[in-house]
Amino acid sequence: MARTLIRANAGFLARHPWQLAMVFLGVGIGVAVIVAVDLANASARKAFLLSMDTLTGQATHQVVGGPAGIDEAVYVRLRVEEGIGAIAPVVEGYVEVSGRTLRVLGIDPFAEQEIRSFTTRLDEEGTAEAENVFAAFLTRPGAAVLAATTAARLDLATGDEFEVIAAGRAERAVLVGTYAAAGADDLLTVDIATAQAWFGREGRLSRIDVRLPADEDGAKARFAAALPSDTTLLSAAGRTQSTADMSNAFMTNLTAMSLLALLVGLFLIYNSVSFSVLQRRGLIGVLRALGVTRAQVFRIVLAEAEQRGLVAAAAGVAFGVWLGERLLALVAQSINDFYFRVTVTDVAIGGLSLAKGVAAGVGAALAGALVPAVEAAGFRPRLALARSVLERRTGNLLPVVTAAGVILVLAAILLVAVSGRSLVAGLTAVFMLILGVALCVPLAVGRLSARAAPLFGRAGGVIARLAVSDIAAGLSRTGVAIVALAVAVAATIGVSVMVDSFRGSVADWLTGTLSADVYAGVERGSLAPGLVAAFRATPGVAAMSTTRRAWLEDEGGRTELRVLGMVPESRTGIELLEAADDVWTAFGNADVVLVSEPYAYRNRVGTGSVLSLRTGAGEAGFRVAGVYQSYDINASAILMSRSTYDRHFDDPRVDSVGLYLEPGIDPDRVIAALEALAEGTQELVIDSNRNIRELSLAIFDRTFRITDVLYWLALGVAMIGILGAMLALQLERARDLAILRAVGMTPRQLGAMIVLQTAVIGLFAGLAAIPLGTAMAWLLIDVINRRAFGWQIDMSVGPEILLSSTLFAILAAVLAGLYPARRAATSVPALAMREE
Amino acid sequence: MRARLAGLFLAVSAIAVFAEDEPAGARRSELAELLQSDEGAAFARATAAREFVFPHDHGPHPGYRNEWWYFTGNLTDGAGRRFGFELTIFRFALAPDAPASPSAWRTNQVYIAHFAITDADGGRFLAAERFARGAVGLAGAVAEPFRVWVGDWQIAARGAPGSRERWRLSANDEDFAIALDLDALKTPVLNGVDGLSQKSAESGNASYYYSITRWDAAGTITLDGETFAVDGLAWLDREWSSSALGSDQQGWDWFALQLDDGSELMFYQLRRLDGSADPLSAGTWVAPDGRARHLARDEVDIEVTATWTSPAGGTYPAGWTLAVPSLALELAIEPVLADQELFTTVRYWEGAVDATGRQGAAPVGGRGYVELTGYADAVPAGR
Repeated sequence: MARTLIRANAGFLARHPWQLAMVFLGVGIGVAVIVAVDLANASARKAFLLSMDTLTGQATHQVVGGPAGIDEAVYVRLRVEEGIGAIAPVVEGYVEVSGRTLRVLGIDPFAEQEIRSFTTRLDEEGTAEAENVFAAFLTRPGAAVLAATTAARLDLATGDEFEVIAAGRAERAVLVGTYAAAGADDLLTVDIATAQAWFGREGRLSRIDVRLPADEDGAKARFAAALPSDTTLLSAAGRTQSTADMSNAFMTNLTAMSLLALLVGLFLIYNSVSFSVLQRRGLIGVLRALGVTRAQVFRIVLAEAEQRGLVAAAAGVAFGVWLGERLLALVAQSINDFYFRVTVTDVAIGGLSLAKGVAAGVGAALAGALVPAVEAAGFRPRLALARSVLERRTGNLLPVVTAAGVILVLAAILLVAVSGRSLVAGLTAVFMLILGVALCVPLAVGRLSARAAPLFGRAGGVIARLAVSDIAAGLSRTGVAIVALAVAVAATIGVSVMVDSFRGSVADWLTGTLSADVYAGVERGSLAPGLVAAFRATPGVAAMSTTRRAWLEDEGGRTELRVLGMVPESRTGIELLEAADDVWTAFGNADVVLVSEPYAYRNRVGTGSVLSLRTGAGEAGFRVAGVYQSYDINASAILMSRSTYDRHFDDPRVDSVGLYLEPGIDPDRVIAALEALAEGTQELVIDSNRNIRELSLAIFDRTFRITDVLYWLALGVAMIGILGAMLALQLERARDLAILRAVGMTPRQLGAMIVLQTAVIGLFAGLAAIPLGTAMAWLLIDVINRRAFGWQIDMSVGPEILLSSTLFAILAAVLAGLYPARRAATSVPALAMREE
Repeated sequence: MRARLAGLFLAVSAIAVFAEDEPAGARRSELAELLQSDEGAAFARATAAREFVFPHDHGPHPGYRNEWWYFTGNLTDGAGRRFGFELTIFRFALAPDAPASPSAWRTNQVYIAHFAITDADGGRFLAAERFARGAVGLAGAVAEPFRVWVGDWQIAARGAPGSRERWRLSANDEDFAIALDLDALKTPVLNGVDGLSQKSAESGNASYYYSITRWDAAGTITLDGETFAVDGLAWLDREWSSSALGSDQQGWDWFALQLDDGSELMFYQLRRLDGSADPLSAGTWVAPDGRARHLARDEVDIEVTATWTSPAGGTYPAGWTLAVPSLALELAIEPVLADQELFTTVRYWEGAVDATGRQGAAPVGGRGYVELTGYADAVPAGR
């Protein structure tokens, strides 16, 4: 039975292919965005985990040291005196090769076998005689091995010499072999001697990889006991996890945005299914007269939606895979900029991601079809459902729907209040808010259009009046269209306000922070020791501050330790949010530190707290003398004065300097002088504070490009929704429109009426979007960003954002209304009147 | 004499550390290339007799391509339980000169060590291998005070220097370990002609080769956590060279026998591909008073009396009669255990043996070590 019915419907759909197209777009785009984001996230994560897995090999633990790494004598002692096997020394760093950043893994091939296999398992093809490779690897400075894929990408063949830029210095390298290891993309394996020489890390190791027996509890304790106090033994899996976790907030936010696209898509599905039910109200009436039950009609509509949802979801998944590949580059870029190096070349198509997409698509299709299915089931036999009946029913439902909306909004507020620091709860609240407001919109629109109709009538005559009052009359269609557009526009407002506020705060912060006139540093490295003194002595330089960015690592993950060699001038560069009275006197002399605001938020510390840090002489306590503002993404930073650092750590390196110029000195002249000093020693990044500020903001903007993409997609879905709603309205009211034409309305007037109607729909959506968007912005700034990153951002809502987004809503609506207007204007009144 | 073995270790270790698994045939061809390469020309070469100076020459000779400290010995515990041991440390130079680098890890010196225990009564043979670069203290050799080590395996002088060498040796793997005090009972003897041991007719294809053929050894052997107090005799072979291989050579059999009349006999027989003995095979007889006598190839007759086939392939000789008519010496030699094959990166047989026979009319017996190479490689390709 159902099969026959569906077949009857199939014939109908075949005659109305664009309806299918609409479901396809609604479900398809929503699913595509979900799948794309999920795939991009999962691929980036998977690539990271795979590369970590490859790098970690069989190591269960890793010995890490302080900012200066580990004394290589520790490793030798463990091997020779303690007789410990299954340990391998590693010197790591990054180099640039032909503009590509490669991770350098400096190893001792003799120690590799029990830890990693890929480093010494070379391809036979393209690799010279094995024993020569072995001898070259050990004895030839710069001898390197690459994954075959990376070598191909760099256009390198075995035997080729090439240049690497390590810590600003050009070094010679030669490719002696390739391996075919998974997860070894953009990884340059060299002998530990080469790595030490390239990075100027003679005598030091980055870490020691350790394989401890899994079943022996005492092994770890015994091993740890053999380590000096400035090193610590960490679980390899834990280190990978804590690195991966750094990007969790970022990825959660992306997923939330993809859900928004589906949410908007839901409205579209509702529109489309309602539309198709309406179109067939005659057919359904006949079926009912023939004895088809309500339940069967209900099931048919749902089954049809499910079928279409499934097909559309499948198409969406395919599109999502395509989109995911494009999105991946953006995601990987953001992760590389801020979290960790990840090389992803291909989307890893995970079954789970695809299944999620299909489930979301079918679920959305069913959810969207539910209300129309109830409607259809309510059709009386042979009696074409009068528009008025449907609208009356909608009218009766409105108070219930609105009440539910209000409850949802209240629940969202409550959730924010009670959920503490949970990011997921914050995002849930955002969605509850959107849904809640969405449910309130139809009632508001009904009231508003009823009130506005006379006004429009007075200004624009009967056509304008009709156009506006029709919105209220067709609320079951228009309401949903307005909601879809309002949500999309509100999201635009919310995110724009958030990004603008954020950008403003960052810009102010940068202006304050960049207190020196000229900055000089090395990309991924430290300044050659002689240069620091030479820079200070450069004519025109009045004062110089120094910075070293060191990392401290323990079970909790990595924390940046920013070491400042301050001059009085640089104090203005630190915006203290709270501080002890003696902050500046103590900072230079006592064992005190400042912590960034995100650090304080995340670790729940404040002025007066005492932090325990692992120094060169073991754990030591440091009092927090203040909390400073920071929008750095590695924001969990601790600020320490150079003198305090030097008392506790044996690490004289300076990564960058800030130069304060004498009055009237041209920064460009000083920059030229600095470049001349560094010539031949090191390639430096030297720039004025203005350029750095601009560059930082450019990176900021790049990061949010991905949010732009997602919101454009949501808006596209909303526009299609309006198109669908307008077409549905026309279909339902074809007779009315035909009568209007018959009583003398010209096609042009009819078209104008419809365009005006959609413009008003856009206006309503824009108006509804303003409070919703502002509320979203607040949630994004004070709840989501705070919980995700610990930042506190000053919210600033510019009227131009609100105005432009309202105009944008109107424009989008008018655009979506053009086709329906044309269609209505060109329809033949006689045919339309005969339809019933 | 074990230049070829050393070369083989180097090449195959390189492959083991640094390449895909390859069939044995491929290894051999690469080996041949390595050992016949012209690079050898830049290394120091053993071209003429030299003066040996001790303890200086116990230390490394890094200008030569390869070198080793080769200890073997037969030990017994208080209950008469019989053990054999081998601890060998090889040094290889990957290039003639040490590369210049700011990093202490950069070196041309590589060390490999083999450690084996024969538990004759337990019927077990255990072996292990270590690799390390000769840098940053991970492995190395020093003449004074004498020490050669790879990780925590080492042979080193103990106490103040005296007229005879007093060393200590220690090594361990997961299930077995050894720690011995060694006291030289004889002074070093120079093998070959004044310590120059010619390997092929070509000049420079020779090694410097000396031995201390009798050491008093006492200490402990640990097997699976059980420690045995042991004592017995040990033998040290020292050799360094930059020799290349003769392409017609298949392997060799090396005998080091400590007889109970206080004399020792060392003899190596180079085997050619056609199965015949190379004329450059040679040996040394050390009298109880420590005087040494060179033995030429034609002074020694060796007959194989038994064979043993390795489960991994290859048939080794497993019993010999060895006769030196000029010394009126006739010995029957038998392994204390058939399977003393090392599955290190190069597969070879090195094991404790018993010798019984007579010198003139007087019965004579003894213990020793035999090394057999080139038999595993003789397995037909495809195995």
